[in-house]
Amino acid sequence: MSQVFKVKVNGQHQLTVDASQGNTLLEALEQAGLEPHYHCRNGFCGACRVQLTSGDVTYINDPLAFIRPGDCLACCCVPASDIEINQ
Amino acid sequence: MSYSTFNKNQINPLKEPMFFGNSVNVARYDQQKHSVFEKLIEKQISFFWRPEEVDVSRDRVDFQALTESEKHIFISNLKYQTLLDSVQGRSPNIALLPIVSIPELETWIETWSFFETIHSRSYTHILRNLFTDPSEVFEDIVINEEIQKRANDISQYYDDLIFYTQLWQTHGEGEWEVDGEMHTVNMRELKKKLFLCINSVNALEAVRFYVSFACTFAFAERDLMEGNSKIIRLIARDENLHLVSTQQIINLWQYGQDDPEMKEIAEELREEALQIFMNAVEQEKQWAHYLFRNGSMIGLNEEMLCQYVEYIANMRMEAIGFDAPFKQRSNPLPWMNKYLVSDNVQVAPQEAEITSYLVGQIDSEVSASDLGDFEL
Ligand code: FES
Ligand SMILES: [Fe+2]
Ligand SMILES: [Fe+2]
Repeated sequence: MSQVFKVKVNGQHQLTVDASQGNTLLEALEQAGLEPHYHCRNGFCGACRVQLTSGDVTYINDPLAFIRPGDCLACCCVPASDIEINQ
Repeated sequence: MSYSTFNKNQINPLKEPMFFGNSVNVARYDQQKHSVFEKLIEKQISFFWRPEEVDVSRDRVDFQALTESEKHIFISNLKYQTLLDSVQGRSPNIALLPIVSIPELETWIETWSFFETIHSRSYTHILRNLFTDPSEVFEDIVINEEIQKRANDISQYYDDLIFYTQLWQTHGEGEWEVDGEMHTVNMRELKKKLFLCINSVNALEAVRFYVSFACTFAFAERDLMEGNSKIIRLIARDENLHLVSTQQIINLWQYGQDDPEMKEIAEELREEALQIFMNAVEQEKQWAHYLFRNGSMIGLNEEMLCQYVEYIANMRMEAIGFDAPFKQRSNPLPWMNKYLVSDNVQVAPQEAEITSYLVGQIDSEVSASDLGDFEL
C-alpha cells in the first residue's frame, strides 16, 4: 500500500509526504518552509500541536502531552491518510 | 478523614479518582489508571542530572565584564527562579500528596518535586561561583518587592488548599472557626480549591520561567555565561515535563476522564482559571519591565520579551482548551528553539568540559606500566 499522502495546511499549502521515509509531520512541514512551532521535538512539551481537521495520523513515538480531540502533535506523528491541518 | 500513611482498606486504585478518593496504600505500577504519569516518571528519571557536573567556572570572568544593567538582569532572574523552585520543591508534596489517590500520580508528584530541588541546588552552584558570599542575593529574595508580589500569587492557592485539607483531615466537613474566622469545609469546596491550585501551578510551569530563560539564552547567543545556560537548558527540559503533567490533569478533568465532579467544577470555574493564567502573563510582562528598567541587553528588549511571553501563553492556553488571547502567533525569538530542543541537551557527563566528572569515581583502566614497580 502506498505511504504517500497529501497534507493540506491552513487550507492553502499542499505538500506530499511519504510516511515510509521516517520523517515526522513536523519535519515535512519544515522542509516545505512552513516554520511550524516546536520546542522539545520529543512529544513531551506540546508546542508542536496542530489542528487535525481531516484524516488520520500514526504516532511513531509515544507522546506524553495530552492530545485534545481534533489535535495532533506534529513532532511525533506521520500521516496515515491524506490529511488537513491548521497551524 | 484523617490521613493514614498506609490505608488498610482494600481498594481498587483503577477505580479511584486522581485526588480525594481513598488514599493510596500499595505503591504498585503493574496496573495503572492513568499510565501517562508512569511514563512521565520514567522520562523525568531518564533526565537525571547533577548541577555539580556542569562546569560554571568560566562564567565568573564573563560576569565581571557585564554592564551594570546586564548584571541586574542576570541576578534578578536567578532570584526569581530561586523563588519559583523553592515553592515547587516543596508545595506539590505538601499540598497534593495528602489528597492524591492513585499510586502512579503519587509517585509522579514526588519525582517532580525532587527535580525541583535539583533546580534549587543548581542556583546555589551558580551563585557560589559568582560571589565569594552569595548570601546577599538569597536574602534579597524575601525582601525584594518585585519578587514578593510574585511569591504571593504563586503560594496563595497552594496555601489555601493546604489549610482546608488540614481542616478537613483533622475536623471533617463542617463549619469551623480558626483564629476568629469561619471556614466552610466540604468536598465541593475542597475540590474547587484543588482545581484553582492546579491551574495556578500550570500557569507557573507554563509561562513564569520563560522571561528568565530568554535572557539566559540571549547571553548564550553572545557566548556569555555558558555554564549557566547549560544548567538552564536542563531545567527548561524538566519544566516542560512538569507542565505536561499539569496539562494532563486539567484535560483529564475537562474531558470527564477522571472525577465527574471535577468536570463540573472545571466548567464552573473556567473564568477564574482563565484569570489566573492571564494574571501570570501580566506579571511576567511586568517582570520584563522591571528587568530592563536600568537598560536593555544586546539582542533583547522589553517589547520582544513581552511578545515572546504572549507567543508562549497562546500555545499554553490552547493546550488546556482556552482560545489564544494574543495576536502574537509567530515566534519573535526564533533562536530560543535551539535551546529548548531536547535532543540538543547533552546530559552532562559525556561532555569534555566537566571538571568534576571523575571525582569520586574509580578509574577502572589499569595498564601494565601502572604495575611496573609492583613485586610479589
Ligand atoms: S515539539 Fe514538543 S511535543 Fe512536539
Ligand atoms: Fe524547576
Ligand atoms: Fe517545575
